[in-house]
Amino acid sequence: MLTRELAIAEYDFAGGCVRPDRLTTGRHGHYAALADRMLAVYRTGLGRMRQELHRDVHGLFANEADCPPRRIDAFCKLLDEAGVFGRDRGGKAAALRREVFQRAARLHPLVAHADRLFEHTEARAKLHIADELGRPWGEIEAALFADIVEFQRLEEFRGYADGRALLSRYNVAQVQAALYDAVSMTVWAGGDFKTILRYARLAGLMHDIERRRAEGYVLRFSGPASVLRETRRYGAAMARFLPALIACRDWRMHAVLKTRRRGWKLGLDLSPADGLHSPVPSPADFDSSVEEAFARRWGAEPRDGWTLLREGDVLTAGQKVFVPDFTFRHADGRRVLLEIVGFWTPDYLEQKLATLRLFAHEPILLAVAASVSQHVPNLPANTIVYKTSVLVGEVLERLSAL
Amino acid sequence: MPTPPVLTFAAGTLLLSGSGLSRSRAVEILGTPTPVWDPRVGGWRCDALDYRDIRDRLRDTSLSIADDVPAWGRVRWPRVNLPELRAEQQAAVEAWMQTGRGCVVMPTGTGKTEVALAIMAGTAASTLVVAPVRDLMYQWHRRILRGMGYDAGVVGDSTFRVRSVSVTTYDSACIHMERLGNRFELIVFDECHHLPGDVRRDAARMSAALLRLGLTATPERSDGRESDLDRLIGPRVYELPLSAVRGRTLADYEVVRIPVFLTDAEQARYDRLAGDVRQYVADRRKDDPQYTWQELCADTARTPEARRILRSYYAKKSIEDRAEEKLRVLEDLFRLHAGERFLIFAGSNAMARDVSKRFLIPCLLSHCGKKERLEVLEGLEAGRYPALVANRVLDEGVDLPAVKVAVVIGGTASTRQSRQRLGRVLRKVGDQRAVLYEIVSAGTNEERRSRRRRSTDAYAGTRHRRV
Repeated sequence: MLTRELAIAEYDFAGGCVRPDRLTTGRHGHYAALADRMLAVYRTGLGRMRQELHRDVHGLFANEADCPPRRIDAFCKLLDEAGVFGRDRGGKAAALRREVFQRAARLHPLVAHADRLFEHTEARAKLHIADELGRPWGEIEAALFADIVEFQRLEEFRGYADGRALLSRYNVAQVQAALYDAVSMTVWAGGDFKTILRYARLAGLMHDIERRRAEGYVLRFSGPASVLRETRRYGAAMARFLPALIACRDWRMHAVLKTRRRGWKLGLDLSPADGLHSPVPSPADFDSSVEEAFARRWGAEPRDGWTLLREGDVLTAGQKVFVPDFTFRHADGRRVLLEIVGFWTPDYLEQKLATLRLFAHEPILLAVAASVSQHVPNLPANTIVYKTSVLVGEVLERLSAL
Repeated sequence: MPTPPVLTFAAGTLLLSGSGLSRSRAVEILGTPTPVWDPRVGGWRCDALDYRDIRDRLRDTSLSIADDVPAWGRVRWPRVNLPELRAEQQAAVEAWMQTGRGCVVMPTGTGKTEVALAIMAGTAASTLVVAPVRDLMYQWHRRILRGMGYDAGVVGDSTFRVRSVSVTTYDSACIHMERLGNRFELIVFDECHHLPGDVRRDAARMSAALLRLGLTATPERSDGRESDLDRLIGPRVYELPLSAVRGRTLADYEVVRIPVFLTDAEQARYDRLAGDVRQYVADRRKDDPQYTWQELCADTARTPEARRILRSYYAKKSIEDRAEEKLRVLEDLFRLHAGERFLIFAGSNAMARDVSKRFLIPCLLSHCGKKERLEVLEGLEAGRYPALVANRVLDEGVDLPAVKVAVVIGGTASTRQSRQRLGRVLRKVGDQRAVLYEIVSAGTNEERRSRRRRSTDAYAGTRHRRV
């Protein structure tokens, strides 16, 4: 993702909306060729310093009329992200500095011209140290600060498929950067709403859902402190979530951004009609949660005939919508749902229980964190209490008992 | 099934939940600012910051609320071995103890850290110390280890090791307070003028700590938001003006300004670049007399010419910053103060590296790891290194060995920066005066910045000598 400093957007205070920088074939057709040339700089740049690569990319735009310098910096950032730079893990540069500076300390100060009081010249001291270390001074000086970010060398470049892919990534990245200022996000979703919900949870967002007959589902995303004040605190989580949303079908999104200009609020609207593209991010790119950890431990294969499906079912009772975390399906056709209640509050659990009572006819297993469960008496019989993680064995036991 | 009301710490907020909590009852318990109903979890929320007031109300047993907020305990210090406090430090400790919440304002070099350590030792509360940068975070770790024999936890610098006493940075505190906010009874904000930023204040707001201590030499902020510290930490409980300590705790000091001239080649290039910039702006003003610098920056998005002019402007600044003559003057100062320890402050990373490569002295830049920083600072103290060059990393509060000679070879004109930098050389060594040299390019913007630096309180009463 881009840093906040690299965000470019048009703030339309009269129209009340934000338009992140967007490169389109219509208005920026010549960027396709520029993007190919940028990729070429990195593809042929193995072994070169980050600073040199950036300078060459900037050079491609020297005569380009339509180009904020920040846009070029953003391209550099996205190109850097697709590469691997030498990191000097062993601290070789730091060790060399120590060697050199300690030797030089005995000769301090290194003067330009020797006299009776100060006899160590810069030139002779450097030759002397190079001699002691058995390397030419030029080589030592080049290695002395090799660990500094600008001087790191490109070792590997996975890159983007082509120039268009880079431009496509740029357009998404600018929307993400605009979302850093978001205080809330609403998504109207159709068929893909379970995937949308799952990725929002992975990104650490809280939600409430409402079902609308005509429009499908309305999902509102924010964080715990959002009810107290409008806070940009969860904007980064919304930005992390965005590529997954873009990869879905049949949705539209409205985010409220609080600008740095006297906190004025502007809207950001997006839908598949905007034509942004993004690959579906891997769940591993997110912080792992209790739910993800459980799914990983269970694996893709059936256990005792039970297969684990993620959020396979949607239960509705009037306006109330309930999407359990997992569905288990047995080879013989049986179906059991699993809902995991993480480290939330007793009241959250209370509310969950009230919801579950609406669906009492469904076979639902409940897993509750011990820290929460102790505050709630009379948990349903089919409840698993866990300490830090939900154990596969325990779940299998309950499944067979049902 | 009714559940008894319970107050919990929930992701940086407090949540009051349970059966049958009406709004009026929630207000009675949580007080003002008014608690907010959160339909997503079915409970009343308020800021963790308000916990102390709420706790006072909870003492009223008729409320019968289960209080699940604190996850902190007492700390047993392995061995307390702190230096005896000076009178003003003692006064600061006593003033804070009266309220358990508030800011202590003391000039750099007068021992704010000892004040905080004395409070930590006295309260034996689990403590989180929040520092502006990694260097300072590690420095607190060392001071706690040395003073109390306690190996504090570290949250930040890719480490997440939480112990009853921990150190962190503002950025990490802000991110992790959702999980840490109820684990510390005392929170110490070092250089607390950093706290009132829009996002950073979450570090205070999302903490339930009952006891709060802010430390700073320079409470003023350019945005005037220092008044928010009253709510985020507490009122100013103790203030020691800089003028009260000069010459007593701190060495009397002298400021010497040395103008340097650009070489002919530098000057020619400087003039050409400056001419380009002037010409461009003059051309624009022919048809738009109000043409501003902001517009020039906006134009860089549209015209290669504007981008070239902006580059010329930065190149011009870089010539001032990295003038060759500065290195020659520095050599003269090394000769003049042969055998003295030097601290050199550069205006940019590039200049710091220029100095480091010319004289082969260590430079401390932001990329230096914890080990290298420690080795360099200890090396200077032990005399293994004669001098040290830094960029703005050392601006604030980093403990440095006492030096009598400091050299500023570039930097910005802001008040706080110069005052903090002066704090470095102010450390008294015997009864010898400290000297601060300022090397500035003559006839350039640097001269103007230097004049502005000298107009601040920190320089008041110092002597200026031109060489």
